[in-house]
Amino acid sequence: MRANVWSGRNTVQVENVPDPKILNDRDAIVKISSTAICGSDLHLYDGYVPTMKRGDILGHEFMGEVVEVGKGVGTLAVGDRVVVPFPIACGNCWSCKHELYSVCENSNPNAGIAEKMFGHPTAGIFGYSHITGGYAGGQAEYARVPYADVGPFKIEDDLTDEQVLFLSDIFPTGYMGADFCQITGGDTIAVFGAGPVGQFAIASAVMLGAERVIAVDEYDYRLQMATARAGATDAINFRENADVVEQLKELTGGRGPDAVIDAVGMEAVSGHGVVQAVDRVKQAARIESDRGAALRDAIMACRPGGIVSVIGVYGGLMDKFPTGAFMNKGLTLRSGQCHVQRYIKPLYERIRKGDIDPSFVVTHRLELGQAPDGYETFKHKQDDCVKVVLKP
Amino acid sequence: MATPPRPLDATLHGVVDYTMGTFLMSMFPKLAGIQGTRSARQIRLAGAIHAGYSALTDYPLGAVKTLPYKAHLGLDAVGAIALAATPFVTGQHRQGTRQWLPHVALCVAELSSLLITDPTGRGDYHGNVEAVRRANSIAPSSKLRDGGPAVRRPAAA
Repeated sequence: MRANVWSGRNTVQVENVPDPKILNDRDAIVKISSTAICGSDLHLYDGYVPTMKRGDILGHEFMGEVVEVGKGVGTLAVGDRVVVPFPIACGNCWSCKHELYSVCENSNPNAGIAEKMFGHPTAGIFGYSHITGGYAGGQAEYARVPYADVGPFKIEDDLTDEQVLFLSDIFPTGYMGADFCQITGGDTIAVFGAGPVGQFAIASAVMLGAERVIAVDEYDYRLQMATARAGATDAINFRENADVVEQLKELTGGRGPDAVIDAVGMEAVSGHGVVQAVDRVKQAARIESDRGAALRDAIMACRPGGIVSVIGVYGGLMDKFPTGAFMNKGLTLRSGQCHVQRYIKPLYERIRKGDIDPSFVVTHRLELGQAPDGYETFKHKQDDCVKVVLKP
Repeated sequence: MATPPRPLDATLHGVVDYTMGTFLMSMFPKLAGIQGTRSARQIRLAGAIHAGYSALTDYPLGAVKTLPYKAHLGLDAVGAIALAATPFVTGQHRQGTRQWLPHVALCVAELSSLLITDPTGRGDYHGNVEAVRRANSIAPSSKLRDGGPAVRRPAAA
């Protein structure tokens, strides 16, 4: 089969690789109909996530048709149309029983590496380095899905692929970010990053009843989508004025947003050139693994007693984390890789009811073979790119 | 096999190129105690050549992007070895340590920086956007504003 593989920093290639096989009774093989490039794939592409190996198949957002099931999978049949959550979860461990699927205790065969880095093992993830298990990803024609009786979610109506594909990751991730904010109605939420996850965080905050949602980004076209499509009420372009904290205070009568969502992660960009240069050099030299411009501003901007919700991906250590502001303002920090399996059914129902049409983020639909150019277009924000869907 | 850490990407390599080029042409001879000697002239020339082909390199800090990045890295290696060999070819190494040690030290520094340089930098190559435009079955700009809100606000209580 053809698959998009990591071939080193800034390089992916579509190659012929062996077809996946059932390795375990609880496996299924899915013939992929749609897959997507995630913003977090760019962290792999840019070389900031360790333990990648040449030839690793990328991709953790995918859906398709079940073509083979293991003997232990009683919930799926050949021919079922499924969306596959990006975290691989066993369904039986303490974490899974508590719906904390992204920290499943059994699904990561390289748990020892994760434990050294994070203190505890985390779940396996499709196509996302060997820290998360080294599983082959879904930017391919077929994928092996472990624990197929737990993860894949059946789509039993005629919603299009692009309406349901993002249930695999970015819609639940954005929703979880907004859910963390404990929106009760009338709240003001700031969302750092108007990429695909940020768009869904904005839309989810709107769905949950936020009165004002302020989008923060450096690209006007993304802010345009945030206000015209995702429901943001205000937009801040930090290239026009780098002082995001001050602007958020001005928009909120000096108090600051009730909650701030960081949908940016480890490759954050600062509007302050010196801060950006220092973070960039330190990250490149591996003195820190995570650039903290967004998270620092999120903490500084959030109102006292507010919530900072972190759904952007971070991988290790960050310098100048403002512990003083965090502690003295009494902030609550909530974060995590999304527990997709917890959110997928209610969000699917919201799509069916017409509360949201997730396909609004798709700006590029390409054939799988064009994945390398798709990555470059997405990475460099060319051609008004927000989200790339690949068709194997 | 896991990829070894190669933190110097093409941009950072460019920063090192210009910084080192300027340093060699200006302060280095004085700091090395070789000002006014043939060694100083050789090292200044090496700095100028280095900065010169850096300006011609197809990487983010290049001014006229004609020299492929990998060719630039090759020139770095060859230039470093040539610089280290120069005092021994000319015979000036017999005039004392200062007439050859700076050359060798600079060679070692250059080769060390190459070891931690990511060679996959592709200049300002940002993919074949035209091919993407042709293949894309969606008009991106229409998705940014057309179609109205994609999300419904909850009904007021």
